Amino acid sequence: MVKAMHETSIMYSAMEIVLEKAKESNLKKINRITLKIGELTGVMPEVLYFAYENASKGTIAEGAEFHIDRVKATARCDKCDIIFDIDHFNKLCPDCSTFSSDILSGYELNVNTIDGE
Amino acid sequence: MGEIKVVTNILNSNNKLTAQNRKLLDEKGIYVINLMSSPGSGKTSILEKVILKLKNDLRMAVIEGDLYTTKDAERIEAQGIPVVQINTGGACHLDGNMIKNALESLNLDEIDILIIENVGNLVCPAEFDIGEDMKITVLSTAEGNDKPLKYPLMFEKSGAVILNKIDLIEYTNFSREEFYNDIKSINANAAVFETSCVKDQGIEELCVWLKSQIKLKS
Repeated sequence: MVKAMHETSIMYSAMEIVLEKAKESNLKKINRITLKIGELTGVMPEVLYFAYENASKGTIAEGAEFHIDRVKATARCDKCDIIFDIDHFNKLCPDCSTFSSDILSGYELNVNTIDGE
Repeated sequence: MGEIKVVTNILNSNNKLTAQNRKLLDEKGIYVINLMSSPGSGKTSILEKVILKLKNDLRMAVIEGDLYTTKDAERIEAQGIPVVQINTGGACHLDGNMIKNALESLNLDEIDILIIENVGNLVCPAEFDIGEDMKITVLSTAEGNDKPLKYPLMFEKSGAVILNKIDLIEYTNFSREEFYNDIKSINANAAVFETSCVKDQGIEELCVWLKSQIKLKS
């Protein structure tokens, strides 16, 4: 299998985690899967949805509801000791305008929950 | 049955392999660079120039990532240093497992610096750590100065950005000012180098800096 788009290989890795957890919990059918994807990752949710269709085919997760929660990007300013929202193009502390390298959230790529029976 | 909390990083298996690679490379005292860019920006040409300058002082090796061909690996091999080719067979990035396999083909006791040339692609390789000490992204003037804003993740994660084909800048509408402003807003900590492989510009500065980074680690 060629995993050409990186979303595809991410989705297949996510499905491996989902199916493993489902097996541990003796699920026969998965009804809902949620992922947490940070705003700073280069992962496009619409491509993940597309990849999900393929990755779940023929598994107990086929047809399950698939939901992605986006996680806001935040950083901390060490000088002012505050936490603030950032994006790719602005990581300056709103109080002292120092560039922050202390990124707290935004790079998440997590399988968050599964629901089944 | 109700909802099951999983909260597991999707890249766990890659991260585990990457951690193993990193541990092995650290034990051997090898400095590792993950070299990334879009296709045709000059990664291999820069590598050739850097190898010429550094190979007498440092023991170098290269891992070449490419979809299908061995063209780049042949160019590096001509420089007389060890090179391993990874053909991803269509996949858009290198990952921890590919690097693990490639490391088995190298004599790690005889390497000071390992440069991994990733698949030419400004998007996907940024997402996958492969055990490197530093990511370096190359951009060429002919691609346009808007690329850091359009593909910020790779520039955000890089310790250095190389602006290549600087000899062509007068034939393009590349704005140095916008480029430097954009890099500063995305990643104020990145070192920036301007190079031309054709005119042999900026390579010396890049090599001096690379040596200082390697010293910092050892």
